[in-house]
Amino acid sequence: MTEEKIDEGIDEYESSQNFTEAEKVALRYSELMDTCPERIDEKFYSELAKHYTTEEIIELGVYIGFNVGYHRFFGTLDFYPMFAPDGKLVDQKTSREIYGDTPVSQLKGTSEHKKFSTAAE
Amino acid sequence: MPMVDTVPLETLAQSPLRSLIDKVRDQKIPDPLFFQIFAHVPGYTEALFDALHRSHMEGNVDHKLKEIIRIRLARLAGDQYFSNLRSEVAIDAGLTEEIIEAGCGEFEGDKRFNEAEKWALSYAKLMYTEPKKVNKRFYQKGKAYYSEAEIMELGAFIAFHYGLQVFMRTIKAFPLHDKDGNLMTHAESQKYYSGK
Repeated sequence: MTEEKIDEGIDEYESSQNFTEAEKVALRYSELMDTCPERIDEKFYSELAKHYTTEEIIELGVYIGFNVGYHRFFGTLDFYPMFAPDGKLVDQKTSREIYGDTPVSQLKGTSEHKKFSTAAE
Repeated sequence: MPMVDTVPLETLAQSPLRSLIDKVRDQKIPDPLFFQIFAHVPGYTEALFDALHRSHMEGNVDHKLKEIIRIRLARLAGDQYFSNLRSEVAIDAGLTEEIIEAGCGEFEGDKRFNEAEKWALSYAKLMYTEPKKVNKRFYQKGKAYYSEAEIMELGAFIAFHYGLQVFMRTIKAFPLHDKDGNLMTHAESQKYYSGK
């Protein structure tokens, strides 16, 4: 797994050649669950069932729902990772400078993140 | 039927999930349909049930308050299953439908809620509608009424329940029983609770 693939899986999966149809429908499931759950209808579940067992659909659905719920809560707590990308323990202020206060691609990143990555190299 | 097949109750009666079903039989939240849906992934069921049940039934924050929050979040998520279930524990403790409606509505000006309860209800209301307002100042205000442990209890409760309810909404499950406790088919329950 690479940062490029993560970004593609978030922003451009529909047109990407790097994801199978099964992966695309799972990614679509996660996008819709958070943004427009009303579009997850019987037809959508039939599409999911072409690629996944009932067990896998439940697993995915619960996982996505849990993440939808939890990330919003964690976002309000204003916590940042304990470690910089190079594994060094950092304080919360430094971590915020590295990662930025809005979740973005770690490739595009904040200017501080880029500076830190360059310095670490 | 819900969007996924349900495991028959007779099958569950022989499974380790039987003890969980029995545990909540009197509390009525969730009802056995929850286990019939999630039994496809038994390991998940136990972990999920544990998180939901503990956050709802245990802790220091008043259970009746958490019950109002749970229903509010289920309605926000569009989840017909959880929004129509009621905790018998909360009802036995005096929670009424009138208070639930008041807590799910314009509670800010309602004298039936004290300031601490209003903060908790705001916390639930804002988390998924205007999360930017759940900021440092908001948390500072909450600390006037709740310990940090209680704030984390509330926050985790809100997160667990809202997340699962978002998923349950898409499943289109409805409670197994009507308000008098009579067992219904899925079609009957859908008509009973949604009018459609």
